[in-house]
Amino acid sequence: MKDTRRTRVVLGALIVTALAMITVDYRGGEHSPLRGLRDVGAAVFGPVERASASVVRPVGDTFDAITDAPGERHRADRLERENQRLREQLRAGRLDQDRSAQLQRLLGTAGAGGYRIRAAQVISAGQGFEDTVTIDVGTRNGIRTDMTVMSAQGLVGRVTRVGPATATVLLATDQTSSIGSRLEDSKEIGIVQGRGRRGLGNGATPLRFQLLDAAAPMRVGQRVVTLGSQGERPYVPGVPIGVVERIDNSSGGLTRTAYVRPFVRFTSLDVVGVVVAPPRHDPRDAVLPPKPAPPPTPTPAPTGKPSPGASPSGDPAKARPRGTKSPHPRPTSED
Amino acid sequence: MLNVPEKSQTGRRVMTVLVVAVALILQVSVANRLPTPGGVQPDLVLLAVVALALVSGSMTGMVTGFLAGLAADIVPPADHTLGRYALVYCLIGYLCGIASAEMDRQSVVPFFAVAAGALAGAVLYAATGMILGDPRAEWGTVSRMVPLQVVYDVVASPFVVWAVLRVTRRFERGDRARGDRFSVPAARYRAMSGRSGSL
Repeated sequence: MKDTRRTRVVLGALIVTALAMITVDYRGGEHSPLRGLRDVGAAVFGPVERASASVVRPVGDTFDAITDAPGERHRADRLERENQRLREQLRAGRLDQDRSAQLQRLLGTAGAGGYRIRAAQVISAGQGFEDTVTIDVGTRNGIRTDMTVMSAQGLVGRVTRVGPATATVLLATDQTSSIGSRLEDSKEIGIVQGRGRRGLGNGATPLRFQLLDAAAPMRVGQRVVTLGSQGERPYVPGVPIGVVERIDNSSGGLTRTAYVRPFVRFTSLDVVGVVVAPPRHDPRDAVLPPKPAPPPTPTPAPTGKPSPGASPSGDPAKARPRGTKSPHPRPTSED
Repeated sequence: MLNVPEKSQTGRRVMTVLVVAVALILQVSVANRLPTPGGVQPDLVLLAVVALALVSGSMTGMVTGFLAGLAADIVPPADHTLGRYALVYCLIGYLCGIASAEMDRQSVVPFFAVAAGALAGAVLYAATGMILGDPRAEWGTVSRMVPLQVVYDVVASPFVVWAVLRVTRRFERGDRARGDRFSVPAARYRAMSGRSGSL
């Protein structure tokens, strides 16, 4: 097709429309008049994504089972088909088992902190520069914006937009995400910011932790939990975030920067939980997994009920144990 | 496309919409969740738009691109300023449509065109982000991501292009002589663009 005048007119019209939409949406910010369009998107594409996720999941997992069955005809045919079916059943069973194990762990973690959660499954992920996922629960399940999302391992992110049956989660690794957080045992507070997972190498750490007090002690291997926002939204307190892996010593600024390896593996998110009711007491460090102890003396506080003495939840004023070098100067280890 | 019968026109539209919808759903629920090295995934929607534009010209290309981009802007996990993909895909669709008319039809040229389209799309999208001051699209991230993105797009492009050609051809089989099932893409492009009766 030639580049006719009509083509140019249409091109101009479409570009102007796109630019107008960008302008309106950008200027409008959170209250953009184009929100309605997004709601339409959620209502239309949400169910489709749910359906496709339920199709894609077993198919992807049984795909190799189908392909590795060799084509021996005749006699073997019937047996093979049966074999195939059994194998798929087995796979499906293992899938269910896997999912139920994940749910179990999630419930265990949520129980340790006293969070009330709504379990959900990740059904799709964002493209481009954003680190977002869609989960298969929405307003019908009592999900609202600014709820914390966690998995069995730790913090996943927060809910930013809710459709009828789906919700969008901004992951902690997104570059627009920043989370008030706190070092374990010392009560030094700081901010965890996402660095974006995309384009980073495999060994890179997608989170940056800024310790607000530049003089406060911080060491590699120390773990970071959420501090809890005002009114417990968007972040509830005590959710494990990750381990300090590298400390940037060069800066002489007002804050100190460390790089944090998250507990959650963001590339393989599956079963997550949305915290629908915050805990009654700040669980402090109770949700953290037991410290990996190299000598075979199982010491530290087991992840039982909240606040087993890790912190008397009464004196946040004495929040600065200046010299308390805690006795675990070990590099990071697990997984 | 000027002398294609009317019935075929609507069918072609339906097919285009289907291709884009399938690409979009595959993008968000499959491709974006693949744990690829580098954490960057191929942009199937962009590739589908490029392929459709190469097949059916600039008008279809830009309208398809605009609509596909708008859909990509509002599909649930999207969290950027609305209209960015619409703008980028519209431009890419237009340019690839123009290119399809001008293209010297060697069998590898379409694949270069797709690669060029992917590069332009990734750069343009990043540019809109930088213009809008999107904190995600700061220079460090963009310079890391765009090359990887282009590599993945180029790797994925033969599959997408092949699939799009396959679908369009299946649709067209009724009113064209069948036979050349495994013809080179170039001949396909020529046949699809409807300007020549050489097949």
